[in-house]
Amino acid sequence: MKFPPAIAPRPGHILHRFANPGRFLRLASVVQPYLTGIALVLVGIGLGWGLFIAPGDRFQHDAMRIIYIHVPAAWLASSGYFGLAICSILSLVWRHKLADLAAAEISPVGAAITALALVTGSIWGKPMWGAWWVWDARLTSVLVLFFLYLGHIALVRAFDDPERGQRAGAILALVGVVNLPIIKFSVDWWNTLHQPASITLSGSASMDPGILWPLLLSAAGFSLGFAALVMARLRAAVMEWRIRGLLLTRTREAG
Amino acid sequence: MTHLPYIVAAYGLTALVIGGLVFSTWRRLRTARARLVALDPRK
Amino acid sequence: MTRKHRRLVVLISCLFGLGAGVGLTLTALSDNVVFFVAPSDLASKPPRAGRSFRIGGLVEPGSVSQIRQDGKPVMQFRVTDGKAAATVYYAGVLPDLFREGQGVVVLGMLRPDGDIAASEVLAKHDETYMPPEVSDALKKAGQWAPAAPPPAKPAMDFRPATPVPAKP
Repeated sequence: MKFPPAIAPRPGHILHRFANPGRFLRLASVVQPYLTGIALVLVGIGLGWGLFIAPGDRFQHDAMRIIYIHVPAAWLASSGYFGLAICSILSLVWRHKLADLAAAEISPVGAAITALALVTGSIWGKPMWGAWWVWDARLTSVLVLFFLYLGHIALVRAFDDPERGQRAGAILALVGVVNLPIIKFSVDWWNTLHQPASITLSGSASMDPGILWPLLLSAAGFSLGFAALVMARLRAAVMEWRIRGLLLTRTREAG
Repeated sequence: MTHLPYIVAAYGLTALVIGGLVFSTWRRLRTARARLVALDPRK
Repeated sequence: MTRKHRRLVVLISCLFGLGAGVGLTLTALSDNVVFFVAPSDLASKPPRAGRSFRIGGLVEPGSVSQIRQDGKPVMQFRVTDGKAAATVYYAGVLPDLFREGQGVVVLGMLRPDGDIAASEVLAKHDETYMPPEVSDALKKAGQWAPAAPPPAKPAMDFRPATPVPAKP
């Protein structure tokens, strides 16, 4: 079996043909401070309200205040993976350079936030359920999501030729998409220790408004913060990609 | 029984993880920008 | 390590990771997906003797008492799903949320007399979050009766063991 030689990025051609990374850099440097600022303010208000002002639950008392990080983290774990899948389609079908780079930057942030959802859930589960961990359908499927993120991180960085890694990572990410509906509906389809969703699109939130509002603010803040982090990392990735290209041109000109 | 230790642990861990993520991202962005400017001063 | 070598290692580790992921999912998708059975399932599908199983339901109000077995204090209570109830004996530490009317999941084995000897009791809370003042007000207005025997909606939280379609 013959493998083609590793294809180094051809700076001169690619940079001009795909102007988008450059346009992204200009746009992102304008948006970044606003995105970061709004995210910080929303998370600050949401968590401050949730910790000090919002009422405790009638049974769970103060332990349920963990909800203000656990639920946003869990939502982001899934929606971040959805973003990763969209980037994977863009990179597989349209060979979009920016999507390649974005996918590689989403997965570490997604893995961190999934780990956070798992650990805060565990910390909440011990005093309330009486167990750090149980193998019910919801917890197991989120653990699988965490492993999918880890697999993507490793796969994207495992090849000499970055494009090969990005392709393989995209395939893995798309295979893993089956897990998303399993996570979402696990609590409805099967008996689980984890309770069903409190907030549904049909509108009947079984949650007091005094608890719901800080949760929504915190979730919005975490989401914008996730976007801001990915955007900053993507800017760095685009710059690093350019640096590689420039260095390659230099060595070619010198040689 | 108070659940304060659990709440503190959850919030502390979150601050730690997100803080670490933000710091590493910021450092990486700064390094990349500096190297790019050094290589290509037109920018 | 040559390039070919590394590719091999990557491929194998990927297959391993994917296998582990799918394996975990499949394990969860078998009978184990159902984390617990309801007390009314116990008669129709009795668990094999000597096998641990989980049973879920509400703690029947008025059924909790402490007895002594072999000189040790043991909690005795009944777990109900509105149709059937099972008696549980448990000698360990109960979770903070444990109370009459609370949802619980009990891991245990069937005793010869048909009761359950529990080795673990977990509390299952529902998706409702409400401050005490609000639930008190609702109770006073008679609009909301948690854990009233028998439950108005018999243990909605405890779905049947067969998969049911998601809420419309």
